[in-house]
Amino acid sequence: MKRVLIIDDEETIQTIVQFGIEMAAGWKVITASSGSEGLSTAESASPDVILLDVMMPEMDGIATFKALQDNQNTAHIPVILLTAKAQTAEKRQFHELGVNGVITKPFNSLDLPGQIAKILQWEQQP
Amino acid sequence: MSPKTDIEQELRQQRQRVELFSEVTLKIRQSLHLREILSTTVTEVQRILRADRVLIYQVFGDGSGKAISEAVLPNYPHILEQSFPAEVFPLEYQHFYAQGRVRAIADVHAPQAGLSPCLVEFVEQFAIQAKLIVPIVQNLGTAQNPNITPQPHLWGLLIAHQCSQPREWVDFELELMQQLADQISIAISQAQLLEHLEDIVEVRTGELKALNQSLQQEIKERMQAEKALRRSEEQLRLITNALPVLISYIDHQQRYRFNNRAYEDWLGKSPAEMEGCPLKAIWGEECYQRMEAAVEKALSGQVVTYENEITLKDGSPRSVSVTYIPHLDSRKRTKGFFELTSDISDRKAIERMKDEFIAVVSHELRTPLTSLHSALKILSAGQLGELSKNGKQMLAIADDNTERLVRLVNNVLDLQRIEAGGLSMSKQHCNASELMVQATEAMQAMADQQHIALQVQPSDIPLWADPDYILQALTNLLSNAIKFSPPNSTVQLSVGYRQRGDRQPTRQRSRQKLPPHPPEVLFQVRDQGQGIPLDQLESIFERFHQVDSSDSRKKGGTGLGLTICRKIIEQHGGSIWAESQLGQGSTFCFTLPSLKPEGIQS
Repeated sequence: MKRVLIIDDEETIQTIVQFGIEMAAGWKVITASSGSEGLSTAESASPDVILLDVMMPEMDGIATFKALQDNQNTAHIPVILLTAKAQTAEKRQFHELGVNGVITKPFNSLDLPGQIAKILQWEQQP
Repeated sequence: MSPKTDIEQELRQQRQRVELFSEVTLKIRQSLHLREILSTTVTEVQRILRADRVLIYQVFGDGSGKAISEAVLPNYPHILEQSFPAEVFPLEYQHFYAQGRVRAIADVHAPQAGLSPCLVEFVEQFAIQAKLIVPIVQNLGTAQNPNITPQPHLWGLLIAHQCSQPREWVDFELELMQQLADQISIAISQAQLLEHLEDIVEVRTGELKALNQSLQQEIKERMQAEKALRRSEEQLRLITNALPVLISYIDHQQRYRFNNRAYEDWLGKSPAEMEGCPLKAIWGEECYQRMEAAVEKALSGQVVTYENEITLKDGSPRSVSVTYIPHLDSRKRTKGFFELTSDISDRKAIERMKDEFIAVVSHELRTPLTSLHSALKILSAGQLGELSKNGKQMLAIADDNTERLVRLVNNVLDLQRIEAGGLSMSKQHCNASELMVQATEAMQAMADQQHIALQVQPSDIPLWADPDYILQALTNLLSNAIKFSPPNSTVQLSVGYRQRGDRQPTRQRSRQKLPPHPPEVLFQVRDQGQGIPLDQLESIFERFHQVDSSDSRKKGGTGLGLTICRKIIEQHGGSIWAESQLGQGSTFCFTLPSLKPEGIQS
């Protein structure tokens, strides 16, 4: 069973991501409400993938991603950004940072496991 | 008298004669005017010879003559100004005198004088008793033309009369007369020369006067023209200086030739300082790089407008809109260009605020939309408990409209981003075939749902484009085609080369006579839907326009899809249009330049 960490300051997003993924794929979803909380959770829980919101107060997604990369305990965890900035220029910019993928808001949380699996080339779960 | 006394007297006389002669010559030479010279001569000769009358008789070409100067004692008749016919002066006499020979007659009545009775009678009317005649001969051609051999020409006669009694003329008198006749001859030549010179001088003076006059006229005209020019220049300066924009003229060597005062206000450089300065020197290397392409375009004769970022003298940055208007001479060669630069910093700031606002709003909308969308999907999945039939219907409505809202927000943001500038377009080598396959794959689910067959005819045509945007255009068109097709029909996607200007469904087709261009790539999306009325083929590309407003609700469109397509295609230098016949479906076509644009090609 895959374990997904969602880092988003919006509680409703955390909830629907949790519901959607658990319903669609039965994966375990762990939540964090801020960049700093996400860093410690990632280190302690060591999830299979991190879904990271870009626009967050204080420590935004980019800073959080850099911090995750700088930590040898979390550097290996794949990161997918959740962003409202759908534009290609920014997508490219994000890829240049080294993230594994970008999922654009608004999304259907029921589709998330499929999208994650496709991005990370996981064997599709039944 | 002793011989010695004779000799002494002779010597004294000779000296007196020389002195006399010198004196007369001097007097004659004091004047250059012939009339004065002649008058002096006759007066002096008459005084020295103590003759009763001395005159100068001018002989004309036809043999007639006239006394033109005379000194005569009061009690004898005047001959001055009297003309005599040719008969008085026969041809043989003329020849005789022309040879320089003199004639001295001591007594006109004496038989040895050999005068004919009629001539004696003639001279008697002037009371002439004795006369001495010396010719005044000119050697023609010497003065005016030295190449001609001198020909002796009888100009006239110097004549002395004795009226009181007959007189034996002595050698000294003859000599004096002869020498004076020579002097007169010289004086005449000189006078003629002088006259000639005076004529020349007069002509030249006339010419010079005329020239002077025309020069003065020209100077006057030039001064007036200059004054008018100065006035118009002042007006021009007044106007250009009053405008809060940069105005300049730049020559073909990219040097400033005119600047208004705004340059001084903005850059701190006066028009005098900028005169002749190259563009690059004024703006600096970095800024010039952003200008260079536009400058070259202007110098190739095209009007060009672009935006740039400049730095003012106080270091503050400004966004500017720059327009170059080429200055062509009569042979259509570019002599330079006019430049107009206006500050659009405020507009830019507002645009940035608008962009930020839209980005923020769209983000703020997306987050709740995501929650709403996902929550509805989870509910409709039915795992949280079954809903009643009506409940499911309500849920479906909420779900559909949430999706529509999502698309609307996406499209508004897309359109805004594309309009913000083609700068974000990242053109690269891509393949038409790959893009077509990706687009059909993306739309396959929707097509299946509507029972539409997607037919794609991919072709390996290389493109120079931003693949993400072209994919977006293709999926937009396919999505439209699927939406407006009846079930169990086919939507076709094809690609091919075509010659530019082969267009089009519109009325301009027959009038279009475009020069041959390199071929372009033509994409076509064909459906079997209801078609589009002719009068709406253009307007469907406008925002929020749909053929039938009820379609909007029925088909769940946002009214922005075609506008976005057009923006994308235009940013690529292509064109987009629709062809349709009511009831027989529509074809949406767009073109892209084939391969890479100029400049990147190499």
